[in-house]
Amino acid sequence: MRLTVKGAELHQIFAAELLDRVAWFVRLRWAAGAALLVFAAAAPSAGMPLAWARVWLVAVAVLAYNGALHALLAGWRRNGQANYRWLARCTLTQILIDLAALVFLVYLTGGAASPFLPFFTFHMVIGTIMLSARAMFAVAAAVWLACAALFLGGAEALGHLPIPLEMRAAVLGVLACALGLTVYLTDTVASQLKERGVRLFRLAEELRDKTAELEKLLAEMRAIEARKSHFMLLSAHQLRSPLATVKTSLDVLRQGYVDPASPRASGLILGASERVDGLLRIVGDLLELAKLREAMKRAPWASGVNLAQLAVDVADALTPLAEARQITLESSYEADVVLARGVPPDLEYAIENLVHNALKYSRPGGAVHLHVRRSGGFGVLEVRDNGIGIPPEFLASLFVEFARAPNARRHTAEGTGLGLAIVKEVAEAHGGRVEAESRLGEGSTFRLVLPLQGGQTLDPRVTKSERRVTA
Amino acid sequence: MVRKSVLLVDDDAVFVDAVSAVLETRYQVRTAANGHEALAAIAAAAPDIVVLDVMMDHLSEGFDVARALRSNETTRAIPIVMLTGVDEVFNVRMEIGESWFPYDRYLQKPVAPETLLATLGELLG
Repeated sequence: MRLTVKGAELHQIFAAELLDRVAWFVRLRWAAGAALLVFAAAAPSAGMPLAWARVWLVAVAVLAYNGALHALLAGWRRNGQANYRWLARCTLTQILIDLAALVFLVYLTGGAASPFLPFFTFHMVIGTIMLSARAMFAVAAAVWLACAALFLGGAEALGHLPIPLEMRAAVLGVLACALGLTVYLTDTVASQLKERGVRLFRLAEELRDKTAELEKLLAEMRAIEARKSHFMLLSAHQLRSPLATVKTSLDVLRQGYVDPASPRASGLILGASERVDGLLRIVGDLLELAKLREAMKRAPWASGVNLAQLAVDVADALTPLAEARQITLESSYEADVVLARGVPPDLEYAIENLVHNALKYSRPGGAVHLHVRRSGGFGVLEVRDNGIGIPPEFLASLFVEFARAPNARRHTAEGTGLGLAIVKEVAEAHGGRVEAESRLGEGSTFRLVLPLQGGQTLDPRVTKSERRVTA
Repeated sequence: MVRKSVLLVDDDAVFVDAVSAVLETRYQVRTAANGHEALAAIAAAAPDIVVLDVMMDHLSEGFDVARALRSNETTRAIPIVMLTGVDEVFNVRMEIGESWFPYDRYLQKPVAPETLLATLGELLG
């Protein structure tokens, strides 16, 4: 029997199995010892040769060492020390003792004519199942040599009938064949069974791994599901609040709580209209976000996207807004920073969002710098402003949907809280990330970091958009 | 007869203006845009009733204000009407446990002017 599979766990399993088998043989041996005692007691009255009565010696020896073995096993079981190597050694020892006892039994009961000769094959089967075939071939050879010495030496001294030499030689020949064949055949069958056992063990292992994997996946999916429903709840709230304002304003006007001709009435109408604008912006951003997250609905990928060109286009488009707000908008770039592939409308949307934010959260007279450069294998687009800044405790939730810092809200009602979530989505879809740095009251810097070469993406562990606080 | 005073706390200026127009028909109305302003206004002069939005700068800012009022001996008796967007009252109530609600009534936005007036009338007697 070949133990081809290594591994502590496998040994542990086989050790447990071996322990069970050894324990089973201990039980069998009690029966064998008892049967021998009965045999020895019955032999004289059955007219058997005198030597047969001495079988009780073998019986007592077998019962005695079986008792010792029983105690040893009980100790191992208690301590849980079912060490495979120890068990294998113990198994070999007991098989050797059993065989020695059998050889002696055969000698006492007629040598080459002993009725106990077939029991050798029984022991060979057990030994081969429990140990290796190689060891059992050696054991079989030793047994055979011992028998040969005893048979040829003559058992007549014990009072047995004399057996012709050629007859003894024939029995020895048959015994050699029987021992060898038994070991060989048993090993063949046992190996197949054992290999099947190992395969089953491996399969069980694989199954366990797969189950663990699936459970992890399930947990992840549940987390995603929970995030989705939280997002739904937030979306509903973000839509409901302005709707409630619009509805209340309309009720107040309709039910005559305010004089329709008064400035207050026009204020409410204007306010309601602004809330509707806000609602439309939220709906637009929600659609944009859904589109980005639904890869199927995304605009097609293009190769060779010039990040610097996109930045210049965005700066040009937003210059009138900057001027209207009395903010200087400057852009600069290092040569051409070309992405291997990208989705131009999405990138444009992200850049526009960052620049628009910078303008939105800057004070009149402020300045916004848009800068594009290469850094390693990455294109870096930086938007820097000297606006109101972001409270440090808020940087962590900056890219979370609907998160708006209190100072941002006080600064302007405009803003859906979805823009930066969209920017992050775009950055990560391009294998890049978005970073933010800010000092409250002094300004903020946002950086889009996108891989220039195709296939080269950021380490997924750092792809998560970072937030950094400048102390 | 002196009109009873209402402090209306909400971060949406348009909503505040619209609701003020309703409340002004019966009460003397003061407004605050967040929790800090509300607590400062109450410290300056205790109103007869407070109408509080739940979600302002922070998720449960209205609750924080209500809790502050309830834990202060001089403001404990002021009735509080909570205004909620979706179901923050339910959510926050789950968070703080069901044993203690720091408000007298809660109304879901948008609230009909007559409902608001009826609720306040009931609480102010």
